[in-house]
Amino acid sequence: MTAITVDRLHKTYTVPEREGGLRAAVGSLVRRRTRQVRAVAEVSFEIDHGEVVGFLGPNGAGKTTTLKMLAGLLHPTSGEARVLGSTPWQRERSYLSRMALIMGQRNQLQWDIPVLDSYRLNQAVFRIPDAQFRSRLDELTELLELQALLRKPVRNLSLGERMKCEIAGSLLHAPQVLFLDEPTIGLDVAMQRRIRSFVADYNRRTGACVMLTSHYMADVEALCRRVIVIHHGRLLFDGGLTDLVHRFAAEKTITVELEESRADDADLARLVGGHPLERSATGISVRVPKAETARVAARLLAELPVVDLVVEEPPIESVIEQVFDAPEEQPSGQEVTGG
Amino acid sequence: MAGPLLDRVGHDARIVATYISLGVVNLVQYRSDFVLAVVNGLITLVTQLLALAVVFGQTSELGGWSRHDLLVLVGVHFLIGGLIGLVIRPSMETMMEGIRLGTFDFTLVKPADSQLLASVQVVRPPALVDVAIGVGVVVWGVGGRGGALSAGDVALFLLTLLCGTVTIYSFVLALSTMAFWFVRLDNVLAIFQSLFGQAGRWPVTIFPGWLRLLLTFAVPLAFAVTVPSEALTGRLDLATTLGAVALAAVFFAAARWFWFFALRRYTGASA
Repeated sequence: MTAITVDRLHKTYTVPEREGGLRAAVGSLVRRRTRQVRAVAEVSFEIDHGEVVGFLGPNGAGKTTTLKMLAGLLHPTSGEARVLGSTPWQRERSYLSRMALIMGQRNQLQWDIPVLDSYRLNQAVFRIPDAQFRSRLDELTELLELQALLRKPVRNLSLGERMKCEIAGSLLHAPQVLFLDEPTIGLDVAMQRRIRSFVADYNRRTGACVMLTSHYMADVEALCRRVIVIHHGRLLFDGGLTDLVHRFAAEKTITVELEESRADDADLARLVGGHPLERSATGISVRVPKAETARVAARLLAELPVVDLVVEEPPIESVIEQVFDAPEEQPSGQEVTGG
Repeated sequence: MAGPLLDRVGHDARIVATYISLGVVNLVQYRSDFVLAVVNGLITLVTQLLALAVVFGQTSELGGWSRHDLLVLVGVHFLIGGLIGLVIRPSMETMMEGIRLGTFDFTLVKPADSQLLASVQVVRPPALVDVAIGVGVVVWGVGGRGGALSAGDVALFLLTLLCGTVTIYSFVLALSTMAFWFVRLDNVLAIFQSLFGQAGRWPVTIFPGWLRLLLTFAVPLAFAVTVPSEALTGRLDLATTLGAVALAAVFFAAARWFWFFALRRYTGASA
């Protein structure tokens, strides 16, 4: 069952533009020059109920704009989207009461009042019956260990505590779709892990569909089997996380364990075709372009006393980095596959 | 048709009730603010009474208003000022800050009337001090005038007070809604507040014609303060009453239209 359908979604912002300096500033008061900035361009994808999808892209790629359109905050310039059967930006109450948007950098709990009071407000706004409110609150309190926090004013909480309370507050109405925008930003590693396992657990228990943006690859690796990558507003990739690495990794790492490390440096450099080489106590490892992997491996096997040889994909971070470094409109921009 | 509408009104009422109860429950947090509000309220009251004393040291009436009539007006001015400070102004300030910081997004993703949520999101109980002072001064003024008020007078007063509050609220909402285009707009509310504080505490009938028009339709202080005071001082006629109701309806409808117009253009603070 499809939970989210996005069809050629497009968003262009009109932004004021002026040059620096007093003259330009005064001029802009009289006549505002504006510029069209394309944030999201013809993006299409579908996400099923129960899926957790990582939504990746460098800063300014259009991730937040897309999430905001799906959460009903922004009207697109063109294109369609259906989430849980509704068009998000029509902001029907029946849709908004089944959806949650959580943003790591912004908090929605009221600053000056205790956490529990903010939850009561959510209860009124989302029309949660008393019995359900209590049982869900008990459950979330236990899972996220909120007991000691509920009666404190939000301003007295640490960043990690606040995020836990934000998440619990956003889930009281048991949303079926979750948009998580950098939910672990700024948190320490232990808290990141807590939040991660909680999101995974929520998805398992409720079958809610989750769309997650994060700059921490650990979040994505732990939660998402599928990723959607956008860059310069365009969909660059939609598929499995492992496929992403496979497709975009330009290099592989060959690690060989040697019987005895006799070979001298010049000899080794010749064998691996001059590619960057690292020596270790038991052998060497070398990063080679994908196309040369077989040739270099064969040469190493033939000419060195190899005990073991392993060919590995590079870590996901460095792959993502390569993808994000790609300039706009390069050929890989058209390499879009269905997921 | 009536079912869903009643349902919506019930939902809205429950939200408002929750905000109010949170304001009350968290009263303790405002203890020092209360003390400040009392001091501030009393200073303002004394200043206004002194101004009245100066005026009535020279004359026995001002544009047809006697000393006690003007006391009623000062009381109504306090009352409306208190209502603005209780929920309208703090909520609008919070909304404008939210638009600047991006937290306004959360108001929009809630399944409730966005205008209502934005308008009642902060209840600041210390402003009740002004409301109490207002009621006290109104009673003082009415008592000083002599002659009993009929139930009809009181009903008209409450009606015009409600209309005046709605009109002022709509005006302030429309001003604040401009924050969707202009990021820093806090000063607009400050200007309104000082206009309300200075011009609002005199009957608009004493101002020259052009200013009276301005204070009736452009910055609608006349209907907010002068008209309810007229109800308590035997001056209110039917035409003015109907005018107050119509003006409130027009201002409210216009502000609400403008609100949704602005929302469609909302782009939010960037990521």
